[in-house]
Order: sequence, then C-alpha cells, then structure tokens
Amino acid sequence: MNKRFALFAALALVFVLAGAAFAAYEPGTKMTVGFVYVGPVGDYGYSYAHNEGRLAVEALPWADTVYVESVPEGQEGPVIDDLIATHGCDVVITTSFGFMDGTLDAALRHTDVIFGHASGFKRAPNMFTFMADFYQVYYLNGIIAGALTKTNKVGYVGAFPIPEVKRHLNAYAMGVRAANPDAEVLVRWIYSWFDPGAAAEATEALIADGCDAFAFTEDSPTVVQKAAENGMISFGHYGSQMYTFAPDYVVSGQAVDWGSILVDFLQKVYDGEYTAQNIANIDYWWLMSQGAVYPEAAPGETINPLYVDALKAYMISDPVYGEISAYDLFNLRSSQFSAPGVTFDPFQGPISDRNGNIVVPAGMWLSSDSLITMEWAFENVVGPWPGEPE
Amino acid sequence: MSWESWLISTISRTLAYGTPLLLATLGEIYAERSGVLNLGVEGMMIVGALTGFAVAGKTGNPWLGVLAAGVVSGVFSLIHAFASVTLRANQVVSGLALTMLGLGLSGVIGRAYEGRPLMNTLDEISIPLLEKIPVLGPAIFQDQSPLVYVGIIMAILLWFVLFKTRIGISIRAVGEDPATADSLGINVSRVRYLCVMVGGVLAGIAGAYLSVAYRPSWTDGMTAGMGWIVIALTIFAFWNPISGMFGAYFFAALFVLSFRLQAWLSPELLKAMPYLLAIVVLIVVSRGTLQKRMGAPSALSLPYTRGED
Amino acid sequence: MIKTPAWIQIERRPSPSGWTVFAISVVAILLALIVAGLFFQFYGVSALRAYGDIIKGAFGSRLGLTETVRRMIPLLVIGVGLTVAFRALFWNIGAEGQLLMGAVVASGIALFSGLPDPLLIPAMFLGAFAAGALWGIGPAILKAKLGINDVITTLMLNYVAIYVVHWLILGPWKGPTMRGFPYTDKFPTAAFLPMLGGTRIHLPTLAIGLAGALVLYFVVKKTRVGFEIRVVGENPDAAKYAGISQTKITVLAMVISGGLAGVAGVGEVAGVHHMLLNPSSIALSYGYTAIIVAWLARRNPLAVILTSFLFGVIMRGGDVIKISLGLPFQLVNVFNGLILFFLIGSEVLIRYRIRFGTVKETS
Repeated sequence: MNKRFALFAALALVFVLAGAAFAAYEPGTKMTVGFVYVGPVGDYGYSYAHNEGRLAVEALPWADTVYVESVPEGQEGPVIDDLIATHGCDVVITTSFGFMDGTLDAALRHTDVIFGHASGFKRAPNMFTFMADFYQVYYLNGIIAGALTKTNKVGYVGAFPIPEVKRHLNAYAMGVRAANPDAEVLVRWIYSWFDPGAAAEATEALIADGCDAFAFTEDSPTVVQKAAENGMISFGHYGSQMYTFAPDYVVSGQAVDWGSILVDFLQKVYDGEYTAQNIANIDYWWLMSQGAVYPEAAPGETINPLYVDALKAYMISDPVYGEISAYDLFNLRSSQFSAPGVTFDPFQGPISDRNGNIVVPAGMWLSSDSLITMEWAFENVVGPWPGEPE
Repeated sequence: MSWESWLISTISRTLAYGTPLLLATLGEIYAERSGVLNLGVEGMMIVGALTGFAVAGKTGNPWLGVLAAGVVSGVFSLIHAFASVTLRANQVVSGLALTMLGLGLSGVIGRAYEGRPLMNTLDEISIPLLEKIPVLGPAIFQDQSPLVYVGIIMAILLWFVLFKTRIGISIRAVGEDPATADSLGINVSRVRYLCVMVGGVLAGIAGAYLSVAYRPSWTDGMTAGMGWIVIALTIFAFWNPISGMFGAYFFAALFVLSFRLQAWLSPELLKAMPYLLAIVVLIVVSRGTLQKRMGAPSALSLPYTRGED
Repeated sequence: MIKTPAWIQIERRPSPSGWTVFAISVVAILLALIVAGLFFQFYGVSALRAYGDIIKGAFGSRLGLTETVRRMIPLLVIGVGLTVAFRALFWNIGAEGQLLMGAVVASGIALFSGLPDPLLIPAMFLGAFAAGALWGIGPAILKAKLGINDVITTLMLNYVAIYVVHWLILGPWKGPTMRGFPYTDKFPTAAFLPMLGGTRIHLPTLAIGLAGALVLYFVVKKTRVGFEIRVVGENPDAAKYAGISQTKITVLAMVISGGLAGVAGVGEVAGVHHMLLNPSSIALSYGYTAIIVAWLARRNPLAVILTSFLFGVIMRGGDVIKISLGLPFQLVNVFNGLILFFLIGSEVLIRYRIRFGTVKETS
C-alpha cells in the first residue's frame, strides 16, 4: 500500500465516519432522542415532569432516549454537541426557556438533527417549539379554593413574577372569583424555582395574613406540607407525587403529560411527515383538550374524595348557569376545557385588571401571544406585582 | 388578622427558622474558638439532613434520626480535623473540600430518598403554663419543635462552658495562643479535634432539624446555602454563643420579614438586607475599644506545630 | 509529664524543590483518582471506562479540548488575581460577587452606553475591572482601617451582588424582547467577544488571564510593590516597622484581585451568554473554585495557568461523564472533594516529613 493511497483511504474513512455521524434520520428506523434538563430529574418539579415525558418516549419500541440533568442555562451548546457526538442523537429536546438561543444555534450547526424546545418562541426548519400550559387547570383549582376558603383569603406562593406565573395566578384568581366573589388571592414571591426555606416562610407569611388555601409554583412539596401542618388545603404542583406528603389536605393539583406532545411529534417524525426541513412552523400549544394537562390530586383521582361533599354543598350563583354547586361548576368547566371545540376560556372579555384598565374587551378572547406576555394582575389579586402596568 | 397575632406568628417563625442557624453557629463557634476555621458547615449540615431523614424513616423514630445525624456529621467532620490539625493543611481549602464532598455524597446517596414522605416526624410541643403568658406565650412556648428549646439551652450551656469552666479556658487558650496552652499541659490537638467534632455534631443536628422537623422530607441541596450564613453568623456573633443566639434569630427575623413586608419593600432589598446589615453592625461594633476585646481567636486557621512560631 | 502515643510524627522538610512539589502533587491526584474510581465501581460503572471517557472528552476531540479551555478561562482570570490577594494575606472569598458586578457593568455598557462599536468591548473590560475592584476595595478598607474580618465582608457582598443582579433583570433592565422572562435583551453583536476560530473560547479574556499571570508573576517577584505585598502578607509587624502602608497594599491587592474577577464577568456575559441573566447561571461557583485554583498554585500567578487548566479538565470531565455514562451530576462534587483532600494531604508531604509509630512526650 503506497503512501498516497493510505492517505486517501484514511481521508475516505474519516468522511464515511463523519457522514455516518451526521446522517439525517431515516423514517421508519430506530431513533435516538436526547433530553437536556435545567434541573435534577429527582426534584419533583419541572425537570421531574419532563423526565416522565421522556419515559413515555422510551416506551416506544422504535425510540431510545438519553438525558443530561442539571445543565446551567448558557451551557447547553456544548452539551448538545456532546450528546450528538456521543450518542448520535437524531432528535434533541431542551426544556428551559433559557436554552432557547443555545438550541437555535445548535439547530443551525446540526442541520440534519431535529430539535425541540419547550416554552420558547424561536424556531428553525429543524427546530419546533412546544408548551403544555396550566392556566385552565389553575382556573379549575381556583373554583375549588374559592369554594373551600373560610377566610375568603386564598394564598399563592409564586416563583418569579414572570408572565407564565402571572398568567397562572390570574387564571387561579378568576376561578376563585367565579366561585366566591368576596374572596381575594394573596401573593408572595420567593424569587427562585427551588428554595424550600423561602417557600415555607412565604406560606407562613400568607397564613399570618389570614389565608387558608394554597397554590404555588415551586419545585418542592414545601407549601403542601406547611399548609397541611396548619390544617389547610393546597393544590399539588406538577403531578400527583406531592399528594403523598399530605393525603388529607391536597384537594387537587396541576398535572402535565409532556409525553403526549413528544409521542405525537416523534410519531410524525417516524412516519416521515416531519423532517429536519419542514418544522419551522410547528408550535405545540397544548392544553386540556389535547390531554396534555389536567387537574389531579392523586393518580387517577381528580378531586380528593374527602372534599367532594363540601364542594357539592357549596352553591354558586353563576350568571349563565344560575344556582350550581362548586363541584358541578368544576366538572362543567372541566368538560368545556376538554372538549375538542373549546367553548369557554377564563380569559374571555370583558376583563379589567386591578388598576381598572380593560385588558380584554367584551366579546374577545385573549390570543396565545397576549397570554404568554401577560403582565397585568386580575381584580381580586392582592400583593406585590413587579412589572405591573400602571 | 390582628397585629398581635401577626406579631406572634412572626416571632414564632423566627424561632423556627433561626434554630438550624443557631445550632450550626454554636458548633462553628467552638471549632473557631479552638483555632480551626471550618468552611465545611454546609457539607456537614446536608450530610446530617440526609442521615436524619434516612434513619428517622427507617426506624420510625425521629429522635434516633437526630441522634444519628449528630454522630454521622461528627465523624464526617473528622476529615477536616485530620486535615487541619494532624496534617496542618490549609483550612480554607479543606473546609471547601468538605462542603463539596458533603453536597456530592448526600446528592448521590440521597437519590433513593427523594420524594418520600416521612411518617413519623418530630412533632411540635407546647410548654405548659408558660404558653399562657400573653403574646410571648404563644409566640415562644406554643407549638415549637423541641429542638428550638434544645438550641436555646445549648446556647446558654455552651456559653457557660466556654467562659466559666476550665474546659472553656483550655479551648480559648488553644485558639488564642496554642504554644502557651501547650506549655501549660493542654493537649492542643485533642482540644481542636473535639471542638471540630462538636461543630460537626451540631451542624448534623441542624441538618436533621430541617429534614425531620422543619420540613420533613429529603431534597437534594435542601440546606440551600444556610451553611454559609452560619460562617457569617459566627463572626457576626464575635465567637460568643449567646450573641450567636441573638444573631441567628436576627438573621432569621429578617428572612421571615422579607416575605411579610413584601408588599411594601423591594424584595431584593429585603433579601440583601441581612448581608448588608451584618457588615454595618460589624463596622459599628468594631469602632472603639470593643474591637480588641471581641476580636477573633488569634490563632484562627493557623496550624500548630510544637517548637515553631 | 504525660506520655501520649502519637501514631504520626511530623517534622518540617527543609525547602522542597519544585520537582518534589510537582511529583508529590501528581501522586496525590493519582491516589484521588483511584479512590474516586472505587466510588465509580460502587456505582456500577467501570472506573477505567469513566476515566477513558473523561480523557477522551477533555482532550480527545477539538470540542473537548476547547471546552476544557473555555471552562478554564474564568478560573484562570480570577485565580491569578486571587494569588495577589492571598499573598497580602487577604482572604478574598468574594470573587463570585466581584465577577457578578463586573458582569453587571459590562452589560450596562453593552446595552445602554451607545458607544461606537469599536470602543464597546474595551469599555466593557475597563468598566468591569473598575466594578470588580470597587466591590473588593470596601472589604479591604474595612479590614485595614477597622480590623473587620475579610472572610465575612467579602462573603456577604457575594449575596448582595446576587440580589443586585436579580433586581436588574426583573426590574429596570428586563429585556422587552424577552417576553417578560428575567433576562436583559441580547447584547448588540459589537459587544460579543471574538472567539478563537469557530470555538467557544473567548479570546480577549483568555489573553488577559495569560498576560495577567505573566505580569503579576513579574510584579510580585521583582518589583518594590511586590516586595511590599509579600511583607504585609508574611509579616505584618515587620511591614509596619518598615513603614509600609498596610492600607495601601491591601487596597492595591484587592483592586487587582477584584478587578480581575470583574474581567472574568465580562468573559461570561459577553463571551458565553451575550446577556445578563440569573446570577447562578453566570457565576457557576467560579469564584469559589478559583480559591482552590489559587491555593493549589501555591499563590504563584504563573502556576495558576496549570492549576486552572487542571480544574478545567475536572469540570469538563464532569460534563462528559454526565453525558456519556448518565452519572448523577453530584458525582462531580464527590470527585472534586476527593481530589482536594488528597492534594491537601500531599501538602503535608511537601512541607514535612512523616515518621510513624513513635511516642511523643507531652509535658
């Protein structure tokens, strides 16, 4: 073998290997899906819920999955490159808003790989976005909270004052208003997605202000535990695993099935419908009607049976349905949210914010764009609200 | 809710949140009084939190959990004692390493305990008679974890030992001037080992308080930086257990108030407040004659070798 | 006279040579790797496989090597400055906060100064140096003038810096294009640091780190100021006697140390993120890890190049085993802790000789 030939052979080999590593996904074949999480999968919050979605993908006969947990925002670029180089991922899913630019850059670098980004708004021919949003579920939980509060004060422990949390808070407050026009929603911010000590003391501060029912955004069961300690009800966050911490006091909660979105999308990739060239306009915004989110207290249990009687006994005078029990209103709204053609939305006008501005005119529904940029606070919300429009 | 019940709840929560800070600070005061700076408090606390939770869950007895946490963190702290006393290593680095090791080990081993509720938690108690005192009764003596009172008693006891007994004199002598202490027949190494262990045991109990009483559950990283506040508190308290108690409650009160006053004051300002105030207090106190009397142990973080210096 | 058995007896080794130091350190790291390897085996992963992956991941590819260097940059820049502070016996635990304040000022200049494009990056570096230095000078003055403990003030200011960043990204600087999320807008491209050909290595920061190591090595060893810093650190009483102003020296050391930490902040916001964001995503404990880097370099600025590279490898190695073997991220901490303990253990072999099994007399 002469030298020139050896060099040629080596180069050819390199190209073949490189080609193999970067070959586009062939529909109908086995695919490898990589996941990049911002937190630990054991945190019983956001990344835990996403990891449940990954397990649904893993259960598909034609998909393998790998994941990387606790990736700080801004470090996703090299992690994605590594995932592709090490595991030959055909699809890479990133799950934090802060991964948006890094994922887009990676999509431009790896044009044969399909990317998915949760909670963002930037897309590319080989990058789609997806989101399962809780606001309808919060509205339903608000109905329960409004019906069960004795003090007419309902508490909310929020992570950061950002549109996503504000949207959930407002929907919750509207549910409370629907069941109990006299009740207020008191809010405290803890400025962290995970801080058990802060969540505990924020809950206690709300209790000191008279609250007796709690919803929250934080990745630990702290609020559930603190509420139960004081004999007060709460709503689990991210699925039913928080129920086990206070089975007598968790009335319902917000559950998400990221797997429903991912399986739907990947099936279309498997079938050859979605490729690395045609997904620039694919944006999953899935709610209750697609089954991506739903209220849940414990597995298979929408409302904790301990509270069903009280909810049936609590009568609401609804402008449309007249005298109706909280339990029936919950179920009615729930079926309206779940029906294929949605006939009701919490954010349908007329709605004024707490400063008296009309934020949704009569007869209008809020667009998804207005939903994801929401800054205003609903009328019955009390407490600090950074970034509030005048 | 009336201002009275608001005040009661604020004081009560201050004690609840301040207790782990207090327990760990008392331990660090002893370690530093003997001349050993231990930046591994965060690591020792988290090891205690996991141990306490695991043992309490396994045995069904939360007190056994607390005890085990003290023992395990005490043993864990010996790594730092060995490095800094026997090997005379740099204490800043050894302490940082202890924190890393504690966070890492508890994170890896603790995976099996994530998300499990604890059936038998350390229940709150009320003190008969005392709880009847108006305002102060319900604020201090009603529905508190027994460890809150353990903390207060420990503060008084450890203050007494440090300033009123021979043992205390030995500890302070070792921290001030180990060579002289040595010449007086005090075993410098033994005192330092014991004091570091006291620090480990108390940090472990502080961690267990978090996982079996304050918020019964195990979550990775659940000490969330408390160990660093303890380092600050130790200096803030000028290495005095009684001041340590007030300091811990002061920090806790600011933390608790940061959620209660959120409607009126910028939350970022409130959260930064304890740290800024600590500096301000140090500036005020350091002026004048107080400085000399309440200064740090002179031999803090200096290893001792006989016949040198 | 009490007799206590001492199972280890230690005596001082007269001035160890550079080679002894290096050899003992390498042996210590190898021992740590063996113990950490047992931990891998315990976790059900072949230690050889794990180390193979780490070596491949850190050196085996262009991506790996450049990532190692990218991780090394903030440690190098901060570590070099810390050696000076530590030489003046000032325990600067506050590099984390100084880095953040540098990041804040650099972001402010990038977003709002309206400077012409070519001036933007130089202004960001200068501004960040000044910000980091200012954040460091306070504790220096408090220590020199009032004797206030440096560990506490620098540590406290880290938290204050964290809340300054929080306040900015949630309040006045929240980016209109970020849909309400707590980030500033993206910097204009003129404020992006230039990268080394197609990699993620932000060149100016790396250059400042390397140049800083050389210059400070020279300053500390060969200049009058360097001499004064060493005297203040090694013998404060002698310094007073020699008429060296402790205040001046401490402040100077902290200007250098804090300023360089601030420069590291520019590297992170203008070289990695291109925006100001959550403080925990910016700093990644670089300020604390750099303490170890500086200590391991035995406060020698030149040696920081080596030690920061070593920690670049460790950090990169952690990423690699997380990805290739799916190991929990906390293992990286175990790994770091073990390496550190073996290195400090080895320190004793460098400074002292050890004899076993003798009986020590205590009077």
